[in-house]
Formats: sequence, C-alpha cells, structure tokens
Amino acid sequence: MKQLSIMVDLDRCIGCKTCIVACRNHHGLVNHETAMPEGMSHYLRVESELTGTFPRLAEDYWVVMCQQCKKPPCIKACAAGAITKDAQTGIVRIDREKCTGSGACIEKCPYGVIQFNAEGRFAHKCELCHDRVVHGQEPVCVEVCLADALRFGEREILQMQAEAAGKKLLKKRSTQSILYVKRAD
Amino acid sequence: MSESKWIPTVCYQCKAECAILARVEDGVVREVKGNPRARGKMCVKGMAGITTLYSQERLKHPLKRVGERGEGKFVRIGWDEAMNIMETKLRELRKRGEGHKFTYSMFPHSTTDPKWRFVNAMGGFITTGLPHCDSAKIMAHLHTFGCFPNHHIAPMYYTVPKGGVMILSGRHPFGCLDDACVPRDILDAKERGAKLVVIDPIFRTEAAKADWWIPIRPGGDAALFLGMCNHLLTKGLHDKAFCDKWVREGDMAGLMAFIKNKTPAAMSKICDVPARDIVKLAEMCAAAPSVSVDAFKSIMYGNAMDWGHAWSIFLVITGNLDNPGGQPMPEIAPMAPVAPVPPPPNLKELGYHRTGPNRARFDHYTFFLQPTWYAAQAVREGTLKVFFASECNPALSEMGSGEWREAMTLKDRSGNYALELFVLTEIMPSETMKWADLVLPDQTNFERWELLYMPWWYNFGHTAAVCQPVVKPVGESRHANRVMIDLGKRMFPEFFAFKDDVEYYDIELSGIGMSMRKMLDGGAIWSPGTVGFRKYEDAGRFNTPSGKIELEWKMYGDIGQQWPSPELPLEFRRDADKYPFILVNFRTIFLNNTGAWSQNNAQLRDPVSGIDANPVLLNPVDAARLGIADGDMVTVASSTGSVRLPASLTERIKPGCAGIIHGFGQTMGKVASRGAWAGDNELIADAGSHLDEQDLRGGEAHVSTRVKITK
Ligand code: SF4
Ligand code: SF4
Ligand code: SF4
Repeated sequence: MKQLSIMVDLDRCIGCKTCIVACRNHHGLVNHETAMPEGMSHYLRVESELTGTFPRLAEDYWVVMCQQCKKPPCIKACAAGAITKDAQTGIVRIDREKCTGSGACIEKCPYGVIQFNAEGRFAHKCELCHDRVVHGQEPVCVEVCLADALRFGEREILQMQAEAAGKKLLKKRSTQSILYVKRAD
Repeated sequence: MSESKWIPTVCYQCKAECAILARVEDGVVREVKGNPRARGKMCVKGMAGITTLYSQERLKHPLKRVGERGEGKFVRIGWDEAMNIMETKLRELRKRGEGHKFTYSMFPHSTTDPKWRFVNAMGGFITTGLPHCDSAKIMAHLHTFGCFPNHHIAPMYYTVPKGGVMILSGRHPFGCLDDACVPRDILDAKERGAKLVVIDPIFRTEAAKADWWIPIRPGGDAALFLGMCNHLLTKGLHDKAFCDKWVREGDMAGLMAFIKNKTPAAMSKICDVPARDIVKLAEMCAAAPSVSVDAFKSIMYGNAMDWGHAWSIFLVITGNLDNPGGQPMPEIAPMAPVAPVPPPPNLKELGYHRTGPNRARFDHYTFFLQPTWYAAQAVREGTLKVFFASECNPALSEMGSGEWREAMTLKDRSGNYALELFVLTEIMPSETMKWADLVLPDQTNFERWELLYMPWWYNFGHTAAVCQPVVKPVGESRHANRVMIDLGKRMFPEFFAFKDDVEYYDIELSGIGMSMRKMLDGGAIWSPGTVGFRKYEDAGRFNTPSGKIELEWKMYGDIGQQWPSPELPLEFRRDADKYPFILVNFRTIFLNNTGAWSQNNAQLRDPVSGIDANPVLLNPVDAARLGIADGDMVTVASSTGSVRLPASLTERIKPGCAGIIHGFGQTMGKVASRGAWAGDNELIADAGSHLDEQDLRGGEAHVSTRVKITK
C-alpha cells in the first residue's frame, strides 16, 4: 500500500505554531466570533525538548499530528466501524456519518490527537488534508510552514530525500507513518 | 457553487505588514496565507488575524467617556458627535496658538500616511514607536554612513553566501518583526553553509538553531563589539582597502586612539563574554566573506546610541556595507507629494516634548522624530494638551506605566484634566481605552484601504503594497486614516482637497508611475527592481555631509558623545547590590507586543496555538540562592515600581537576569485580561523624571533596568 506522509525536519521547525492556526482556518475548526483560549480543536500541536544546563543547552521543536498509524488503535476501538485506513493513500479517516460520538477512539489513540466536537457529537482529526492531497495539493501545514520544516509525499520517497540531504531518521518518533528527521552529526 | 477567491492584500497583525492573500468565500474571510508574488510567508499572528476580524469583542461604535478617566465607563455616541468633539477642541487649541500641543501617537504605515499629514496641518507632533525602539539605530546609521535603515532593514538573508556570518545580537527574527519570510531565509542560508551566531542572555528558538550561542550580560553588546573592533584594528585584520577608500580623513586615526584601551579583556568585564570568545568571534568575522548584524531588541538598552554607533563602526571596518550578506542600504523611490503639502512643525523653534533635565542638550539630535517620548512630563508641564493614539497601547507601552496613568488623570486647580482631550482609535478593548475620552472603532486590515510604502521593504521583494478591503466593515468601524482625512476636510480643506484615501494614494503613486488600479492588477505589490549592491561605488560617495563614512560624530563633541561608550549609563550601574538582577524583557512571535488586537486574539492566547502565561524567568542557580521554587509567587521590584508574578525556573536564562515578555498586563477584554500577568513597563522608569544619562544615550530601558526579586 502506498503511504502518504509528512516529514518533519527538526533542524528547521521553530515551534512557531503557524501550521496549527492555518490548519484550523482551512478546516473551519474555530468559531472566530466566540472563540476563547483553551476551547479550540486543533489537529496539530508543537512539542519541544530542552536539554543541558546553562550555558550548554540544546532544544528541538517538532509537531505532532495524527500519525496515520500502520495498525491504527483507533480503528480497533471504534465499535461503529467509522474509522478506516484508506487503501490508496494510507490516510486514516473518520466517517462523520457513521461516528456515534462514543469517544472510544479518543481514549485509545496513543498520540492524543483526536478531537471531539461536542455540539455535533463526533470525533475528528487530521486526515492529511485529504480534500487537498487527492487534488494534487500539499496539506495546508506543509504549504504554510514558516520555516519550510515540513515536506509532503510518499513515505518511501521522503525517506530517500532525507537520506540524500544527510538527515537521519529519528526512529523512536517515526514508528508510524509520519517521519521525523534531523541532521546526522 | 459558492464564490471563493484569493485576494491579494496586506497583513497588519504586526508592523512587518507582510504581503498576503485572503480567501474570501461568500463575503467571509476563511483563510489567509503569504502572497507568493512577494516572499510568500505569513506567520501565526497573521493566520490568526481572522479571529481579530470576527471576534465579538470588536469595538463597533464610537464611545464617549462617562465618569472619571481610568474607570472605563462609556456611552455609545454617533460619528457626528465624535467628529464635532475633536474638531471643536482642536480649533480651540489652534486659536490659543497651541497647535503644537497636539500629539498623535501612531505608527505611520508609510512615509506618506494621511494621519501624519493631518498632524502637520495642525502644527502638532507625531510620536511613534520609534523613540522607544529604533531611533537610536536610525540615527547611528544615518550619522555614520548616511542611510536610513530601521529595524525593517534586516540583512537580506537570501544573499548570505556560504561561510557568511549572521549575527543576531538581541534580535529575535524568528518572531517575524521584519517579514514572515525571514526565518526560512535564515535557515536556508544556514543550509548553504552560512554561520548563525546568537548573542542573547536568554536561550530562545534562534539560539537553539545557532552554531554559536553567546549568553551576554544585557546591555553589553556595545562593549563586545568595541572589543572586537580593538582586536581587528590592532591586529590589522580589518578591511584596510575599504577603510582607506571610504572613511573620512582623520577618522581612522581618531578611531585607533579611541579604541586603544577597549581591549577584549577590558570589554569582557563589561559584557561578561570571555575575552577569548571576543577574539574568536572577531577572527571568525574577519575571515568570513560577509557579516551581517541584526540587532533590534538590543537597541533598547539604556545605551542604544552607543551600541548603534559601535555596531556601525564594526560594519565599516569589516567592509560589510551594501554587500551581499552585509548591511543593506536602501534607496528611496520618490512618491509624488500631494500638493499643497502642509509644512511640519519647526522643531528647532518649538523643541521636542522634552522636559527632562537634559532638555537643552537635546537640540543636538537632528532626527525628525523625538528621540524619546515623554508623555507624562509633557502633560505635567503643560506642553501636551490634546493626545490622539492609533494602533498603540500607551497605557502598557509607555515606560513608567504608573507615571503615565497619573499624568492622564492629573487635574488643574479648577478640576479639569491637564490633558484636555484624549482620543483613541482601537479595534479591540485595550488598557489605554480606560483613560480615553473618545474611543473610535477602527478597522482591521481586512476592511480598509491603505497604501503601505516602505522603501526598505525592497529587501523583501517590493517597496509598496496595497491593503484593500476584502469584506464589509464590522459595525460602524471606520479606519483611522479616513477619520483623519474627514477631520482634515473640515479643518484644513486646502490640504485635504482630494476625494478620499484612495485618490490620495493614487496621487502619491503617480510619482513612481503607478496607480492603485495598476498596483492591484499587479498583485497589490510594486518593486522598483533589483536591490543592487555597493551602490556607493557607482555614486562615488556615501550620503553623508562629507560624502565619506563619518566614524566620529563631531556634532556631539560638546556632549562628549563623539565616540561610543562601552558602558551602560550610570543609572543602570549604580545600586547593583540593592537591585542585583537585570530585567530582560523579550518578545514572542505570538503577540504584537502590547497591541490590543493581538492580546485579545483567542488563538494567540490559546496555549496550543499561542501563549497564555508570562511568569518571570529565573535561572535555578539564582532561585536556589533565594529559596525560590518553581511556581512560587515572587515580587519583582525596581526603584520605581513592582509587580507580583509566579517564578518559572529555567536553564534558558543567564544567571543574574530576570526575564518577562513585553506586552502583557491588560485588564480590558475577555481574552486579554486572562490571568494575573503584569506589564513590564510597571518596572521600567519613566525616562523624563527618573533617568539622567540614559535619555541622552538613547532608546528605552527595556533591557537595562535593575530589579530585585523577593519571595
Ligand atoms: S495517531 Fe491516533 S488517530 Fe491517528 S491513526 Fe493513530 S490512533 Fe488513529
Ligand atoms: S509552522 Fe513549521 S516551523 Fe512552525 S511549528 Fe509548524 S512545523 Fe514547526
Ligand atoms: S510578521 Fe506575521 S503578523 Fe506581522 S505582518 Fe507578517 S504575517 Fe502579519
């Protein structure tokens, strides 16, 4: 199966969160009129790790979105059979019609990325901008990333690109379909 | 199918004003992104601009104060009444011969902003963020090599060659103050083999990406660069050919004499960077094909002028002027004047609103804006009677917030406010609003026309950009520019004979053979062509009185400032045992500082997509000494103010420093007033009344103020 993916370059991500807001805008996740901090759905989040002691410090930033798991625990958790992994693209999708709003997938997702729409009582998440990629466009986050830290493509090809650029795969973080890379030094 | 298209316009979530596209569907803005015709990027603040546009907290009608200033009580009024209030007071002021006691605090979006025209017609003053931020840098570069950069003239990172050195000295370009393309361009340069050196007391995103992080003592930059100059000059590592050809006769000898005792060892004592590192950085720069210095925030030291001077000297002796990867020197493209042009006030005759102890010595400054702004003193001494403010939030952005508040409520013997009228245009509720007599609902960049013209933008691929309304305005909001044009038409019809803002911009654009229509057809941006390099070679001169680079500032000889001092002004050095910490206030990409529109933006104050906390950062070593644990409430006190904040212990910050973000502290607006955070200007002294040396040597004391921390 072809697996579409995003490669996150830790040498470039600056944790600016531009991708998060652009994604929200594109997918209409925010009611701009009434929005308050802490109450908004988001398909990505920024994580970071600071190591060392003053003045010898290092810090990495990266984004976490749905990892398009190889064997998605969310699919297993969903009794309604609303979640499937698309055979053409490897994208894990939630069928809003079938979703009963039980929230079972949210508990089982190891990455904590599934959002819940309380009003409509349905689960939703990053589907790699399925609406765009099937038309040959990149996912929104990849297009707008402030630092050009994200790259979209087939997982296999992205891996080759990383290799060619002298980047090493961060294996622990890249166990599913999203790839995390950093300069090999 | 619903109608959906991408419309080119301009972002105004911050003052970088990036060229963008807005996707409008059925009359509603859905999405925004960088304009691919410009440099194609837009940051998180810009992306969140849609939330500013549609927030239910938008101010929708003119408001008039009821009750006392500071209470924040208003009644809704109509635009006619608002216009009449302004007109009546301003006419009265002019009749009294006190037109110059009117000041408008704004950020002119171009050198041709119509608000500024109104100020000139009125005979009043303009004050901008510049006195706080970068007058010092502008003056330093203007004096030394005759070009007019400001913080928007960042190095052109896309021209930095392999091996080029990019120095960020107290500068956070990943926060996008220049243009949203800058983070990408810096990272691309790094991938090409350029080196990134970050000089900063706090380890931040830029430092995390740097090849070398130098945690300096705040305010030490002038010393560090003078130490480097000493090493380069005494070891003959400077660009001799360039200096021989372009530096004014006698200046190199003067510099040698001045720099003699600024040895790396001596300078190390001031900046707390080891002498061997000063030497190493100097040699790295001497060997590099190019060096750029980007230093915006660091010009907010108490010695901003000295620092700007030291940095200018460094650029000169390393030959890094107008070269690829060095300091760009933009040319000014001529916009057409809109005749008849109202003459600006005569500063030589009227003086600035400068009332501090060094008033007379201020005549040395030749810049057209005030070197520093003294609102509180001006009110107290009766030289500020009518105050207008747009797109700034003086209640939080003025040094010495306490004194500012006092001045706003100061009354004369008969019980009238000393400041007779205070008018504020605002998109969202702001702290300043509480003190205003009139609050006028302003428009976001999605609702207004504006010609943005910044000659230095050509670094980013264009010099002019058009902001156009892409949706209908919210409520009764009116853009401040239109309001001032209307007021101008009532009061000074001879200077406001054009139809409206669009026609005004059209006339200006004719100077470059453009019009608003042509601009829009061309994607809403215009560029004069390529930037060019080393233009002084073609011209055969620099744009200084002598035509050469003027290292020695002879006009400041009698105030002893012809050469830069490596030290901070006295007021930041004394009382070090009483106030052992140095306050470092810093910026983040998530907020346009004190701007009420970004502080009130739910997405920017959301912890997932923005920032929602502003504790005081302390190094664990200091905290342990003081018995402070992570999260403890502490008092941060300076000699003029104090705030209570939770402490956050982090290795990121240099011991001896206390870090807080600039811009928090609002009590107005549901979003902005979340959490008991404080404004840094509560701690920073009001320049006119508390500082003696600093106000002559530049900038704001943001990164110099001494504080003590107690539990
Ligand atoms: S990351 Fe979570 S939501 Fe995405 S496929 Fe895996 S389990 Fe499902
Ligand atoms: S926009 Fe890019 S650089 Fe910014 S947080 Fe997202 S992935 Fe990282
Ligand atoms: S830097 Fe960001 S907020 Fe500022 S103008 Fe550019 S996109 Fe807008």
